This record gives sequence, C-alpha cells and structure tokens, in this order.
Amino acid sequence: MATWIVFRREVGQYFASPFAYLITAAVLVLTGVLFNSDLQGSMTVKPAEPALVPLVMSFTMIFFAPLLTMRLFAEERREGTLELLMTAPVTEGSIVFGKFLGAWFYYTLLMVITFIYQFILLSITQPDVGHAISAYIGIWLYGGATLAVGMLFSAMTENQIVAAFLSMVVLFLMWMGDQAGQIVANIDVARVVRALSLQGHFSTSFASGLIRAEDIVYFAGIITVVLYVTIRVVESNRVR
Amino acid sequence: MIEAKGLTKRYGDRIAVDGISFSAKQGEIVGLLGPNGAGKTTAMRMLTGFMPPTEGSAKIAGHDIIEDSLEARRNVGYLPERVPLYPDMTVRGYVTFWAKLRGVKNSKTAVDAVLARFHLQDRQNQLVRHLSKGLKQRLGLAQALVHNPPVIILDEPTIGIDPQQVIEVRDAVRALGQNHTVLFSTHILSEAEQVCDRVLIINKGKVIAQGKPADLRRQLQPGSTLFVVLHGADKKKARELLAAVPGVTHVEAQGDGWQVKANADVRGELSASIGAAGLTLLEMRPITTSLEDVFLELVKEV
Repeated sequence: MATWIVFRREVGQYFASPFAYLITAAVLVLTGVLFNSDLQGSMTVKPAEPALVPLVMSFTMIFFAPLLTMRLFAEERREGTLELLMTAPVTEGSIVFGKFLGAWFYYTLLMVITFIYQFILLSITQPDVGHAISAYIGIWLYGGATLAVGMLFSAMTENQIVAAFLSMVVLFLMWMGDQAGQIVANIDVARVVRALSLQGHFSTSFASGLIRAEDIVYFAGIITVVLYVTIRVVESNRVR
Repeated sequence: MIEAKGLTKRYGDRIAVDGISFSAKQGEIVGLLGPNGAGKTTAMRMLTGFMPPTEGSAKIAGHDIIEDSLEARRNVGYLPERVPLYPDMTVRGYVTFWAKLRGVKNSKTAVDAVLARFHLQDRQNQLVRHLSKGLKQRLGLAQALVHNPPVIILDEPTIGIDPQQVIEVRDAVRALGQNHTVLFSTHILSEAEQVCDRVLIINKGKVIAQGKPADLRRQLQPGSTLFVVLHGADKKKARELLAAVPGVTHVEAQGDGWQVKANADVRGELSASIGAAGLTLLEMRPITTSLEDVFLELVKEV
C-alpha cells in the first residue's frame, strides 16, 4: 500500500518535471533520426533492423538512466523530506520499491512510445515481429537494471550531479564488459567479465531475438541486489 | 502519551543527548528549551522514530519507539526545523500524500479539514514552491496534523517567519494543546513561557531543570527585585536610605531611579522609610525575572 502511494507520487513527479519530458524528447529525436536512416538503408542495402530502438537504448541508458533517477533520493535528502518519509509509518523497503517502480514505469511508457517505429515498419514491410518483441523484453529488463543502479547512487548523496556522474561511470563499466575479449588477454577472465556485464546479456541474446532464462535471471538479479543495497543505504540515514 | 526513559544518543565520543527522561500527559504542551546545539533536535528525532537511541527507551502513546516503531510513528505528527517540502507538488497533493502515507482512511475529508484549519483552501491548487515562507510553515503544520495524531512534535516552528505569523503559529500550538500532546522546542524563552504548560531546560544534552514556567522562575529567583524612583534626595542619601531598609540586599542606580534587590517582600518597609525620611515616592514596580534570566543562570552553572 505504501509502495503504491510512493509510486503514484513518483510517477506524478515525472509528469510534472520538464526534465523528464526533455529526456523523452531526446530519446525520441535520437531514435527517430536513426530509424529514418535505417529505413533508408533498408530500401537498398539490408532489411530494417527489428531491434533498432533496443540496441540504441542499450548504450544510451548509460546516460539516460542516471538522468532519470538522480532526483529520486538526492532531492528528498536535500529538501529534508527524507527525514519526514522515514518518520512516516512505512518501511524503507516500500519507499525504495515505490520509487524504483515509478522510474521503471516512466521508462516503460517511453519504450511504448517507440512502438510507433514498429507500426511504421509493419505498414510498409514485413519485419520480424518475434525478434522485435524479444529485443523489447530485453531492453525493458536492461532498463530496469540501469535505473536501479542510478537510484542507488541517488540514495548515496544529496547532490544530483554527483549521483548522476557516479552512476554513469559505473554503468559504463558494466556496459564495457561486452568488449572484455578485446581488453583482457586471458580468455577465461574475459568470459567471466562478459558474463557479469550488461551487454553480455543483451547484445547477443535478446537483441538477436533470443530469450534465455540466464539473461532474465541476470537482470532480475541485478535489480534485486541493487534494490537491497539501496534499502540498506537509505536505512543508514538513521544513524548519521 | 510521551514517556522517555534515559534517552541517550552518542556520535562516537560526542554525546548529543545524555539520558533525558520525562513524560507528557495528554493535552499537555511541553517545551524543550535550550541553546542551539543543546540536543533538542536529536531528542526529537529519536522520539519521532527517525533515529534509534544509543541507550534508553521511549514510548509514544504506549508504543515503544524501537520495538513497535511503525505503530509509534503512526501516532506522531512531526514538523522538522526546516519544513520539508516537495516544491513541484500542489498544496493539496502534498497534504494528501502524507495523509495517505500515514494511513488516513478518509483522506479527502481529513485534508479539507486541515487545509481549512490553516487557511490554505484558496491556495490548494498552487505549487508548493510558490508559497511564501509563512505559508510554507503553515503547510508544514498541516502535514503534521493531517492524520490527527495524539502526539505532535514541532522543532522550532517559529523560526524565520514574521512576527504576525509567529503569533499565529503560537496560537495554533496552544489550540493543539487541548486535544493533543505537544512537544515543542524553542530557544526563545518568552515563547516557551507563553505557550507551554511545562518546560524542560536542556543544555549539553542534559535536562538541567523542569517545571511550570512560573514555578521555575520562583524556584530559581527567590525574593524580588523592585524599581524605585524617589524625589527630593541626592543620590548618595537615597542610596543609603534604600540600603538601610531591612531585607534589602543590593541597591543599584538604574536610569533615573534605583534597582533594589531584596530577599523578601519589602515594599511596605520601603515606602514607610521613604515617607519617614520626608521624601516622595514617585514610582515603585516589581521587575519580574523572565525565564531568560533563569536560563542564563542555569547555563552558567553547568
């Protein structure tokens, strides 16, 4: 119940915030331009990429996830509302879940808007719908994991810029793991690094139309662990 | 309603609150009085369930703040020193959020009532960020009261607002005392004197005195101080005359008259001896010691 109330407020905040609209606009412009050129290429060179938007998002969420989540706790702490939240009869868990679900919900809406490109494709050609669905499921989970990381850093500081910067750095490292083979000489180490990376569970599976249990478990696991740590971090405000 | 036993908060070696014990009955307004940094805010934070005490325990409306924290928190309304606001919400949305979060069943009625009480109805659709400081303070009070808690904890609610609003807030607090238990912190002594039924004076984390404001004053300042203006005598003679009255302990020139300290009520003797000396008594009035003096006296001793 408390989770639902916090969730409702967060979603309301996103719709009241010019910054959130700005991010939506940036995502749509970026994907729109890329979709347009992909469509042009598909006339002559190769078929249109069904996983275009998810592929674009898999890289850009390194930046968009921190920007969407930096506010969540940092602002509460700066305004002093975190103290009031923590004296309300609700657990830290429901505060963290409510906020996370709010951010994920806004992100989901953003992804739903990009379905427009799929409808355009459907109307002019015969895209691989299964492939697109797989990629979207993947990027939805992937987005959830990156938003959770962004929220964790927001809970650690009252400065939104610092929160955003730190989570960008961490997300970039988590993303880079895909290139581990090119960076690390030892193949076994590279395998482990890749298995821990965001891209390693997206680029060659979901994005290619392959839904694997291990990838779902990976993203669900990241979300679970990061939310758990966030709850602990929020609790630690009590002893300071 | 509030029962604190040996509440203690340590940060490393520093003791912010050192074994505070007190209790407050229903309908009582208790003032926490102390200089900045005395531990008032920390004590309040422990009672509101924001931070656990290092030692000691407390009960809010019968619920232990550690064992039964959620239930205790449900029974508290809290206004921190800096009013916590969501600038991008409407006034109504803000109050409704806190009402729902604290489990108010019929939140619409509760919100309407509290907005009316603090004269915020005509602002209810404005964004919180556009309110003046005084209105924000009222909104903070509205938030603390929306779930009609038996215990209300207000941390320096009259800081930084204009005198008219200070009076409004004080009146509001006094009105609350009829149905709620109010714990109210301030470092303004006259305020505590006006508003509170009972005052706890805190310094360096310890309660150094407690009682009714009037009792505290009497207890710490036995005897009386009078201001006397005479006519028809030179300074030296007047001083000698006043000092000779039995019971007078100290005479000091102040403006065009004299400040006379005595260890008993000496008004009769004073006027009699002035008359006997053939002088005219133009003015005689008691100087009441404010809580301020009591407070300074106590803080000096520690």
